[in-house]
Amino acid sequence: MSIRAGALRGMFGAPVSRYDQTSAMWLLAPMLGVLLVVAVFPVLYSFWISLFDLRLTRPHRVPFVWFENYQEVFQDELFWQSVWRTTSFTLICVAAIMVIALAMALLLNEEFRGRRFLSAMLLVPWAIPYVANGLMWKWIYDSGYGALNGLLFQLDFIDKYMVWLGDSHKTLWLIANAFVWKEVPLATILVLVGLKSIPADLYSAARVDGANVWRRFVHITLPALRPSFMLVVIYETMMAIRHFDLFFILTEGGPAEASHVLAWHVYVETFRKLSFGTGSALAYIMALVTFFLAFWLIRTLGRKL
Amino acid sequence: MATIRFESVGKTYPNGFAALENLSLEIADREFVVLLGPSGCGKSTTLNLIAGLEDVTAGSLYFDATLMNVVPAHKRDVAMVFQSYALYPHKSVYENIAFGLRMRGFEKNEIEKRVRGAARSLEIEPLLERRPHQLSGGQRQRVALGRALVRQPQAFLMDEPLSNLDAALRIAMRAEIKKLHHTMRTTFVYVTHDQAEALTLADRIVVMKEGVIQQIGTPEEIYDRPKNTFVASFLGNPPINYLEGTLSQDGRRFVRGAISLPLPIALPVQAGRPVRLGIRAEDVDPKGTGEQLGGRITSVLPVGSDQFLGVEVEGAALFFRVGREVRVHEGENISLPVNANRLQVFDPASGASLLWQ
Amino acid sequence: MRRIFLFFASVIFLVYVLAPVAWLLSSSFQGEAEITSRPPHWIPQQPTLENFEAIFQAREKKVTYETRRAGDPATGGYIPSTARDLLPSMWNSLVVAVSVVLLNLLVGVPAAYAMAKIRFIGRSTSIYFMLTTRVIPDIALVVPFFLFIRTFGLLDHLGSLVITYLAITVPFSIFILVSYFESLPDELDKAARVDGCSRLQTLTRVYVPLAMPALVAVVLFTFLSSWNEFLLALMFTQTPASQTMPIVVASFASDFTISFAFINAAGVLAVIPPVLMAVIFERYIVSGLTAGAVKG
Repeated sequence: MSIRAGALRGMFGAPVSRYDQTSAMWLLAPMLGVLLVVAVFPVLYSFWISLFDLRLTRPHRVPFVWFENYQEVFQDELFWQSVWRTTSFTLICVAAIMVIALAMALLLNEEFRGRRFLSAMLLVPWAIPYVANGLMWKWIYDSGYGALNGLLFQLDFIDKYMVWLGDSHKTLWLIANAFVWKEVPLATILVLVGLKSIPADLYSAARVDGANVWRRFVHITLPALRPSFMLVVIYETMMAIRHFDLFFILTEGGPAEASHVLAWHVYVETFRKLSFGTGSALAYIMALVTFFLAFWLIRTLGRKL
Repeated sequence: MATIRFESVGKTYPNGFAALENLSLEIADREFVVLLGPSGCGKSTTLNLIAGLEDVTAGSLYFDATLMNVVPAHKRDVAMVFQSYALYPHKSVYENIAFGLRMRGFEKNEIEKRVRGAARSLEIEPLLERRPHQLSGGQRQRVALGRALVRQPQAFLMDEPLSNLDAALRIAMRAEIKKLHHTMRTTFVYVTHDQAEALTLADRIVVMKEGVIQQIGTPEEIYDRPKNTFVASFLGNPPINYLEGTLSQDGRRFVRGAISLPLPIALPVQAGRPVRLGIRAEDVDPKGTGEQLGGRITSVLPVGSDQFLGVEVEGAALFFRVGREVRVHEGENISLPVNANRLQVFDPASGASLLWQ
Repeated sequence: MRRIFLFFASVIFLVYVLAPVAWLLSSSFQGEAEITSRPPHWIPQQPTLENFEAIFQAREKKVTYETRRAGDPATGGYIPSTARDLLPSMWNSLVVAVSVVLLNLLVGVPAAYAMAKIRFIGRSTSIYFMLTTRVIPDIALVVPFFLFIRTFGLLDHLGSLVITYLAITVPFSIFILVSYFESLPDELDKAARVDGCSRLQTLTRVYVPLAMPALVAVVLFTFLSSWNEFLLALMFTQTPASQTMPIVVASFASDFTISFAFINAAGVLAVIPPVLMAVIFERYIVSGLTAGAVKG
């Protein structure tokens, strides 16, 4: 071993222990290796592919086309519609999730018998695979025999069975409902954690000051939940934007493109039209957009902390 | 065993903060050295450097003749007791104490022997099967000591081990630690901000401030012959009193207004210059025969067997400790005989002592 | 007053959360005739196990013209021959999920410890790097991975799924672990090192036992993510031999002629393992997510 005091230099030139450095490197190596292979490589590779016109229909002729793929993508009307639909889908979902999760978290924060049971049951929607979730709602929304129809019919809200998923005006909302139903548990837990960290003394002080339930809620609870809300918004936005599974199971982008969102658009382009060049471009665009969106969200919401 | 030697050691953190600069210190084998100073002075950092928990960024650290700079913590033969005890929550008391021995590959029988021996001497044998969270603060402290004990290391490092205990326990534990030092006959390096602890326990005290050693010496030296105002103020409870004034022309007396006091040593070379006089609270003796210091009593605070008198002298507020038999009241004037041999004289600008360097 | 309110709120809560699943369950026990009734029978009046039988026995039973007909009293509904693929696909899903969990732990725990407790050059870079990889959407991984796997003939190999799933699980696992490790006292680390532990030993003997809640949370999240993952499995597996559960279940859905009751039964089976795991480990999820306090 070197006997000079610290041959390794860290930031500002101050030497760092060789032992700490090497042990940290060894501990970190597997993760770095894995992430390099499964995260960095694909992104770089997909960018590379997006510069070619690669179609699986004629795999042997792969011309280099610079950014033509991107041009094609941006000129595609359907692309912009997908963006619009994805945006509205995301907004609807995130808003609904926030409200419902808050309500549930408030309930779970109270002490009462059976609360443990409720918490355990809360996890059921979360645990269900999206595929099963999709199937379940597809069955519920079924126009022939679905439970939704049946329920509304029995309660006399409608006088005959309606088409639900097939109705392009309702499609996005219905899919959003299925998505929200499954995402709410995790959001609830995040909000609940935030709720639990509010010191009880604050409420006591407010009551002494004469604040009623509503005011206590608005002036103590909501502000204290900002970090939790921020986390929920960021996470769920990311999840909603990239969501694919439900769109595959429930509507396959239809009817008449009513639920043709970005993720679906990428899928169709790549695996149905088999145009990997444009598909890659789309995927890369999506990656970039989510990346910057995440940063922007963290910045703007984070600052308000 | 081990001599610990710092040669111009510096410790700078990656963010640029220099915790220690040019520290040179030699700790003799079997010494009990106390690193004393306010928080942030670098004493804990120094301890961490000895343990290898942090690394030297400049200079060299030696154990005997071996350079230790790049030797990682787990290869050094030191034991440490932490302020928060740092007991392993998921292990029993027995396991906590035995852990270090296990890691160093001791035989099961040997481990058993040592752990039980340590537990017995620390009187925690009945607790061996319990978990840390079931113990009181004092008990946890003993377990932490036991963990260090069994290792029979080259050096014992202690980072403010008593600060989390209540006052009575603290005093009892001080005696225990002192006893431990005698039995173990190992080097002890002890960190504290409590000057009473330092004075009780240390063979030598190292007073530190902002990463720089102010003075190294025996408790007596530090207390009686402080090298600057920082050291003088840090030790002594209540803190030393200061009076600004000047030297007389012949350098033998301190003068402030109507007050004049003889100095322990004449300082003729610096006659007439401004000086700061230091008088400790206990250095007045109402029954004594020394020259007197006169002033007006501003407060009388009885504390059991003694009382503290706040006295205003020539515009300065001073605190003295006298016996209970002195009967005085606020507002009265008083003249107190001063023990002139114990006076301190400092340079007002640098704080350096003019008597001892 | 409060009691009544809580009661009603709980009821609404439970209905929202469980009703769709209850309906799924109920439907799976109904025969084809019953399931096509309007309005639907909320509780099966003639409960039958035939849907489940089809799944468990389809392997042995040879699907002939007769058996097909026997399975569909009403028009349009029959039990598909691919029913027999459901159980093997669940096995595939299990193999993949378990592998992914193990790899996550092997890769994630040391890395999280290092980032949480060791001061080293490149620490903040590693943390940022790990966080950014979380943001990548699955779609962006599909094309490059697909091409890569296809070129190397690794399509239909469960291994390629395992590797790919690492991309979507490792960042989140490490995130959970790092926050939890950071909440554990630093002084334990120091004590262990002075006691003679190398960094690795400190990790295995001191921190891992203490981080159990977080580890369980990671196992749970990772297992569920792998089990439920659909898109990538869709891309990378073509044959029933290698397909995972979501794919097989999805294939039922796209076939209009398949009995609804059967689909529901398949759904129930697909749902049981993850739901069981989640309910059993419920309390670890919260404590693992919220770096808890450590006593002593």
